[in-house]
Amino acid sequence: MLLQLKDIHTSFTNSRNETFDLLRGVSLDIEEGSITALMGGNGSGKTTLFNIISGFHKNYSGSVIFDGHNLKRLPPHAIASLGIGRLFQGGQLIPGLTLLENLQLGAPDTNDNRPLSSLLKPHQTREADLQKKNKAIESLIQLFGEGNKYLDKLYDDGSSFSYGAQRLLSLARLMIGDHKLLLLDEPTSGVNQQFFDTIKSIITQIASTGKTIFFIEHNTKFIRDIADSCAILSDGIITEHCPTDNIAWDVAKPLSYNTLIKQLFHEQS
Amino acid sequence: MLYIAHILIILNIYIILVQAANLTIGMSNLLTLCQAAFYGIGAYLGTLFLNQFNISFLAIAAIVMTATGVTSLIISFASIRLKGDFFIFATLAFQMIVFTILNNWTTVTGGPNGISGIPSIKIFGLIQLKGIYPHLIFSYVVAAATILLMRNIIRSPFGRTMRAIRTDEIAVVATGRNASMYKTWAFFISAALSGVAGILYASYIPYIDPSNFTLDESIFILSALFIGGIGNIKGPLLGAVFVVVIPELLRFVGLPTDIAADLRQIIYGLSLIIVMFCRPQGIAGVLQPSNR
Repeated sequence: MLLQLKDIHTSFTNSRNETFDLLRGVSLDIEEGSITALMGGNGSGKTTLFNIISGFHKNYSGSVIFDGHNLKRLPPHAIASLGIGRLFQGGQLIPGLTLLENLQLGAPDTNDNRPLSSLLKPHQTREADLQKKNKAIESLIQLFGEGNKYLDKLYDDGSSFSYGAQRLLSLARLMIGDHKLLLLDEPTSGVNQQFFDTIKSIITQIASTGKTIFFIEHNTKFIRDIADSCAILSDGIITEHCPTDNIAWDVAKPLSYNTLIKQLFHEQS
Repeated sequence: MLYIAHILIILNIYIILVQAANLTIGMSNLLTLCQAAFYGIGAYLGTLFLNQFNISFLAIAAIVMTATGVTSLIISFASIRLKGDFFIFATLAFQMIVFTILNNWTTVTGGPNGISGIPSIKIFGLIQLKGIYPHLIFSYVVAAATILLMRNIIRSPFGRTMRAIRTDEIAVVATGRNASMYKTWAFFISAALSGVAGILYASYIPYIDPSNFTLDESIFILSALFIGGIGNIKGPLLGAVFVVVIPELLRFVGLPTDIAADLRQIIYGLSLIIVMFCRPQGIAGVLQPSNR
């Protein structure tokens, strides 16, 4: 098992000092090389669960075991270095950096990133950077084909690309890293049909390289098309986790959002 | 000519200071109010070595850069734990502590009376800088070296990561990069360069006292950075020119002598407001100051 979530509990306190439980014992196993979808209503804790895995949310009990490592005490950058890549909700290219620089940032952190390396070993630093550049170009070719339009826009600012294109290219950036597991938070959210199909094919391509994919998604067609299994998060627990073919899709419909809102701002009237 | 040479030396010192500030404030997205503290530590430590030991500038610079760099780790430690306004207050506290030490440790720093008669820098332990023009040339060399260093850093993978951290730290951390470590490096280099500026100042003037390294000085450096613009080389360069040269040029406008000094300050202040109003990213900046 590549990722094991065991009895994850987390709670939040609102502005009136009222505490509510968001996750109440989430347990889930993700197999190596699998594509697993995570469904649930708005506010059900899907992104919080991803934040717990990535190390950005530390206030939880239970354990997260990734590739034999307990992630509880590790900082987010160390967790990422173990091989967990993350596409954030609405995650985009970083403005102020060119497309190429954005893609190069996806490469693992190495010694050539240190300031003294560029001063004391300029040749080696340049070589290492050139390798990252080549890897970025290779990824673009692999994903979008020879002579694709992005190759002519390597030096365009990240913010100059459309939302959908930025989403695609953020996925391309994940391909450059040595990730074993990719956490994708709503990869198709807000993109048009053309980008939707491309993202679907990119995720399939990434999965074919042996990477494990765990993604949050609301689009059931997308999940049915690409996921091996689907987990449903509802009322703070995983209520279902089974192959997509066996899913009773109606279970995913009840949303816990209203429940959450009631707890946060309960019965003001 | 001596007057112009003097202004150019001061300008070169500020170019180093503002370039150094650009690394922390401009590229690391951490507003610090203690640049003058590192400048002061460099000046006093440099003075100590210039007075006590007959060693070359390079040796003194290496010692001072290491010492100021190591001192900067205190701020780096704070940056890991404190965010936003709390961090700014921590740097303010550091600036006040350094000033208080310089002002009260009279046996070492001379207290408010300062230290005078500081020997000039010796290059390679042989050639002593005597007179204003050798100092001018040497300050040009050090300022040019600083600019080259900063250019190298900004274009390097380290600089790329710093620029990314400034815009989206969480995304950078998610790629496996330790943002705190990058910021620590940025602080280290920035403090070390400020220390070098301190040696140049102490050696050239050759008198220092704590009033040269106050919070006002830190704010002055900060103003130069925001006026010139952050995130590149040109911005800090133009910012330093603006804050050092413009007030001097106003001396020749022909203002009535009895109110000239006050009017110069008003015109200078107004020009700062106009620049910030018309170009919030600074004269040549590529990034806007963060909305804190």
